[in-house]
Amino acid sequence: MAPLTQYLILLGMLVATAGLVWMLYLIKQSLGQTLDEPGKNIPAESGNLAPKPAWLRYHVHYYGYALLFLAFDMEMAYMYPWAVVYKEVGLVALLDMGVFLMILFLGLIYTWTQLGLKRQ
Amino acid sequence: MTPFLTGFIIILLFLSGVYVAAVMERWSVTGHVNWGGPVRSFLLLFAREEIKTRKHDKVFFETAPVLFIGVILLTISILPFGRGSVVIDLGTGALFINAALVYVMVALLMAGWAINGVYAMVGGWRALAQLIAYSMPVVMALTATVMRAESMFLTDIVESQQGLWNILYQPVGFILFYISALAITFLPPFDLPTARGELAGGVWADLTGARKLLFRLGRLTLVFTVSAAVVVLYLGGWMGPWLPDFVWTFLKTLLVAASFFAIGRFMPRIRHDHLLEYNWKYGVPLALYNIFQVGVVLLL
Repeated sequence: MAPLTQYLILLGMLVATAGLVWMLYLIKQSLGQTLDEPGKNIPAESGNLAPKPAWLRYHVHYYGYALLFLAFDMEMAYMYPWAVVYKEVGLVALLDMGVFLMILFLGLIYTWTQLGLKRQ
Repeated sequence: MTPFLTGFIIILLFLSGVYVAAVMERWSVTGHVNWGGPVRSFLLLFAREEIKTRKHDKVFFETAPVLFIGVILLTISILPFGRGSVVIDLGTGALFINAALVYVMVALLMAGWAINGVYAMVGGWRALAQLIAYSMPVVMALTATVMRAESMFLTDIVESQQGLWNILYQPVGFILFYISALAITFLPPFDLPTARGELAGGVWADLTGARKLLFRLGRLTLVFTVSAAVVVLYLGGWMGPWLPDFVWTFLKTLLVAASFFAIGRFMPRIRHDHLLEYNWKYGVPLALYNIFQVGVVLLL
């Protein structure tokens, strides 16, 4: 099967899933409407009303994790083609990737020493 | 058997597998095996009122459930169930598993964000941190299997395990992938995004009706999908004597899924900070070690 056909099938599956979900929503809607009652649409917050929207609450620490993730994620994109030809190229490939990973690993150790992996 | 009949049987097996997963999910919470339980909760969720929280994010509220279940179905469609019965044999199969499963995290974050409630939002951020952390060992363990097979075709990865399954060839990779798979499915020891006790349901706290139903169904399919991925990558896929090949894949997948739920039944929920620390301090170095070990063994 040509790669293009395969991706077309995958796209078709996504569209079919969306269609299925839409049908489910339609059936659900035909079963009856939601009654409009006071206090019903308030999110669960132990009975209190939140003073402001919840869209502000995240910790500055996420940035550290995001940077670390980016570093390793970029490396992974490079690693897949390397893994496919690894056996052909042999020892040179191991050394190449070893040096590269060592530099990355130093980054992880640096984050570790700076308490970047600790969550307060 | 004709390919059509095989395909039909595989779809039936898949549906029954998801149903058994639903029964086991119930068992892992209550300790009782109730074979009619999933039908009952399906009808219950279907009949429930559709409540939308005030000031919710409309786009994310509608797209998150569809995205969640969509990417999981994409992943299961590329996994090979048998030698001849592969729906789509992608040239980038191993990469595609990882790329698709990352969207589970995106969908959870979108759902948590959309509700505009504090608990759901905290659950969403937790899902983000947890799945970002655990996608690292997944990718690295996958790379080691690709190194052995010299190909990213999943069928080639299964064929490369002829003689010695990857679970014995690279046990460290298997353990890492297994634990990370458990974290990706956010099942009980790792159920921080949807924790019942701490967050009153987290991401799912305010979803009702059809959207909750989609998330529940999606998670069961996700458990089955990830178990199938463990089988394909580490447990020799369709290999086994006597029975047809897809039956072997199915049996092994059920076994892996059962082990997931058994762990959830007998383990306490892990703390969020511990979860992140364990992964970055032990998981990532171990995954790198695994790549190194496989590399050296391959060259010998």
